[in-house]
Amino acid sequence: MSKVLLTGNGASAWGARLARADYVPAFPITPQTEIIETLSKWIVDGDMDCRMVNMDSEHSMLTAAGAAAVTGVRVFTATSSQGLLYAMEMLYSTAGWRAPFVMANVSRGLSAPITLESDHNDILAARDSGFLQIHCATCQDILDSTLIAYRLTEDPRVRLPVIVNLDGFYLSFTREPVEIPDTKRVDEFIGPYDPENERFTANVPVSQAVAVLGGTPYSYFRYETHLAAQKALEVYDEIAEEFAEKFGRHYPSIETYQCDDADSVFVMMGSFSTKAKEAVNQLRKAGKKVGLLQYRLLRPYPAKAISHALKNKKAVGVIDQNISIGKGGVLHTELASALYGQTGAPRILASFIGGLGGRDIPIQEFFKIVDTLEEATKTGITPEPRLLFTSQEMEEVRKLQAIANQIPTTTIDTTTIDTATVDTATIDTTIDSNNKTSTTQRSTD
Amino acid sequence: MSESQDVFHRMKDLPTEHLLGGGTPMCAGCGGLQAIHEIYDVLGENTVFVNAAGCMTMLANYPYTPFKGSWFYTAMASAPAGAQGVRDALDILVEKKRISKEEDLNVVVLTGDGSANGMGLSSTSGTIERNLDYLYVCYDNEGYGNTGQQTSGGTPHGAKTSTAKGELGFTGYKKDLFSIWASHKPAYLATIIGSEPLDLARKIEKTKHITGPKLVIAFSPCPTGWNYDPKESVKVGKLAVKTGVWPLKEYIDGKVIHTIKHKKRLPVEEYLKTQGRFDHLFYPERNEKILKDIQDRIDKYWETAVFT
Amino acid sequence: MYQIRFHGRGGQGMKTASHILGTAFFLEGFNVQDAPRYGAERRGAPIFAYVRASHETINDRGIILHPDLVIVADDSLAMIPTAGVSVGLDAHTVLLMVSRHSAEYWQSYLDVKNKIIILSPFVEKVDSALRPEIGAVCAAAAACLSGEISRSTLEKALREELSDLKQESLTKNLDLSLNAYDSMNGNKGIVTPKKDRPLDEYTAVDWIDVPFDQASISAPSIHAPLTSLLANTGTWRTMKPIIDYDKCNGCHWVCSTYCPDSCISVDDEGLPQIDYDKCKGCMICVVQCPPNAIDAVAETDEPGKKNTQTKGVSP
Repeated sequence: MSKVLLTGNGASAWGARLARADYVPAFPITPQTEIIETLSKWIVDGDMDCRMVNMDSEHSMLTAAGAAAVTGVRVFTATSSQGLLYAMEMLYSTAGWRAPFVMANVSRGLSAPITLESDHNDILAARDSGFLQIHCATCQDILDSTLIAYRLTEDPRVRLPVIVNLDGFYLSFTREPVEIPDTKRVDEFIGPYDPENERFTANVPVSQAVAVLGGTPYSYFRYETHLAAQKALEVYDEIAEEFAEKFGRHYPSIETYQCDDADSVFVMMGSFSTKAKEAVNQLRKAGKKVGLLQYRLLRPYPAKAISHALKNKKAVGVIDQNISIGKGGVLHTELASALYGQTGAPRILASFIGGLGGRDIPIQEFFKIVDTLEEATKTGITPEPRLLFTSQEMEEVRKLQAIANQIPTTTIDTTTIDTATVDTATIDTTIDSNNKTSTTQRSTD
Repeated sequence: MSESQDVFHRMKDLPTEHLLGGGTPMCAGCGGLQAIHEIYDVLGENTVFVNAAGCMTMLANYPYTPFKGSWFYTAMASAPAGAQGVRDALDILVEKKRISKEEDLNVVVLTGDGSANGMGLSSTSGTIERNLDYLYVCYDNEGYGNTGQQTSGGTPHGAKTSTAKGELGFTGYKKDLFSIWASHKPAYLATIIGSEPLDLARKIEKTKHITGPKLVIAFSPCPTGWNYDPKESVKVGKLAVKTGVWPLKEYIDGKVIHTIKHKKRLPVEEYLKTQGRFDHLFYPERNEKILKDIQDRIDKYWETAVFT
Repeated sequence: MYQIRFHGRGGQGMKTASHILGTAFFLEGFNVQDAPRYGAERRGAPIFAYVRASHETINDRGIILHPDLVIVADDSLAMIPTAGVSVGLDAHTVLLMVSRHSAEYWQSYLDVKNKIIILSPFVEKVDSALRPEIGAVCAAAAACLSGEISRSTLEKALREELSDLKQESLTKNLDLSLNAYDSMNGNKGIVTPKKDRPLDEYTAVDWIDVPFDQASISAPSIHAPLTSLLANTGTWRTMKPIIDYDKCNGCHWVCSTYCPDSCISVDDEGLPQIDYDKCKGCMICVVQCPPNAIDAVAETDEPGKKNTQTKGVSP
């Protein structure tokens, strides 16, 4: 039972290999590529009895994944951000087909502007699709969650595709110690895939994914998909318990850390949750009663567990690494709807948005969030939602803007832009009290 | 050609018990359905049809299906990708002995010209590149039929559509899908039409003995979209062939060979006159410019046609 | 608010009918909401159209469940329960039907006591699906029955909605429609808008908690072959192909091959047999039969015969 150092992508690939995936339709996208490259090598070397097919797009890739799943084989695939969105039509479709398969999403911020770094807007765009979602915080988590995901997706009570989400860069390319479970134990845990009546074979005619006319049958099919997703809460708990017995690691649908006697609680999801844990440790040392609630399952939404965990807490700070343009943090919105009207619901429910496009959240920001929550607890007034962004960062942006907009070296009135040439290496941009941008030339040595 | 000619020597060799069930909501007189019902008779029930959005999506609507075999609806752009998934999965199941060889199915993609000429090109191209073993049937009614006959990549020059209502009709030209597919060098490629059932049956029979990507385009006279009385569907189809508008040909071993030869081609007007979508070329006055353009292009095509 | 529901077949101009009536009400100063509703948008297939007209703002929308006037442009639909001709009828609802049968006949057949007004079909073309002017005629008759629309307003509405037609066709439509309007003068104003009902007169709602079903039945899949055989598209048919077996020479069964709907099979004696439950009446077989052994005959309604199809569209 020794551990090896694996990247998050490596752990994901191991999950697919241990689960004995039969089929991997693939299309590359940063930061997922290492997953399919790893699988490809194993297949070519004969270490994995699996077929990989390079598809022409993610939309085609998802179609092939769902099609193979409803024909009766175990399927694995992987994507990220733009690829997830390109495939989005087929996320809804394959979930509606009730195709059981597992997809790794390596979270990455969405264009525009285009970036390669992590946040959660991509995976959250899929939240209405019918796909279930498991969010990982460590590399071990990724491997284990992939195995759990196969049990979940193939359970006859569920039969919905599952995404195992891992943050780009912070997990995908980061190595951590991972225990690779014994294949025999995994075989006992997962077993072979039984497609039941979801298959294509001669002599058993079936017309799958057919059109539906009328709001009544459509409502029925869509709602049954929702009931299956909700059923997945209890099925997940069963599977997680079995996993704990077999492999000794616990993965509840939500994880609470030091919440029991906490006054203020952070709510987070994904790899940055471990940063929040470290902040909790330090705050506790300083005598503050702080805890962390970390989502692992986002779909189905474990409303009861969350409500119970936050009961009678004084203040909650949701840290969303995403933003719904025009509304705000998605987790905050969903949490508010879960808590409203519940006995003992926390009085203060504050929204913080950080980590967009991979922006770091340094520990002192967690400290300041707690200060804010404590202040709010005193006054009884929930603060306005806040984007975590400092004055130094604003300066940095202004500097970049000055270059991009070719603002010249002398102090200027922003109403007249001179097109004098500019020595970009020496520009120093400051924002004066009237919010006018002025630049002064520094000496070059 | 000779093998399948042995099976389908003459019209009486064609099946008289039909596999595709009636009771579907296709328009009365649908040329596409005619071709498909003829094709299904030859292919048999050990098939799974993988469909893209179009008129034929309505073949199976819950809880009614006309198929004795299997059917699978995917999405408008990705039926070939769906076929990839099904074909690969069946291969894996047979290879890993989870099903027997007798339980295997043939995979058939079914799309209209809208999907085939437009957003389906990416997934189709991918399947040929990967040498997927399947049959692709495109029913071509020269427009996006299911949504009301808007202009598609398959719409011909001069035709009125619901998005080309001016007195010139559609000013663009029909995409040469056959050549696009042929440039991929598939295992087999052909054009067919329901009004030539013997030619159609021979070609479909041939595909049963070829491995690799096989694609056929079935010209589908459309009473609703082309604006003519449903009873004329076969007549319109025959005229399409006799005027040279719809060449019946095969791409095989890198060559394009025509399978039906005309003694003398009829003027294209004989075909155009039968359909309301070309009315504006004749009334209130003849549009000589467009008529000549259409005839010239057809003449030019046949100058270089090769026959068996 | 007036609520008027049209029943017809694809090809009979039901959408245009709703627009003509809608425009006519609009020109008379009413607020209007009109819309067609398609099942499968196909020639011959049953379709509906709705018109709401009121001097108040119209808030309701969608299907009309409580019509003041039901217009049946093709009486063969009245024989198909799932065409829903008598859905939502109450004592004050008037029916306007294009039919050769009498009002009494239909009252008995449909088992209703409502006022039924008959419009005789004008037989110019034998195939009733090739009569797009039916819609205009029905709209014109309805305009008179409402008592709210003057003849000149109706003409204006007709001209506006039929402006795409060629002159000859337009003139024919106008003549037929205005004649239909005039023929209804004896019943002018007989259609009245329903008064608001007290809340407790509405049918009680029976909500349930939808039970969880396993994916084996709750996925949109059909685990059986050929269930389309239960769908009798024969009800689309307005013309019927009849084989004259004296003329049939058992050629190479061209009819069987060309029928797009697989309706013609060949029996043990080598004779083609048509499945009339499915035949849509496209007439390809009639045109293509080499010895011209198939005749095209207009569908006639058979008195007392109720169509037992299980599939159809409901409003």
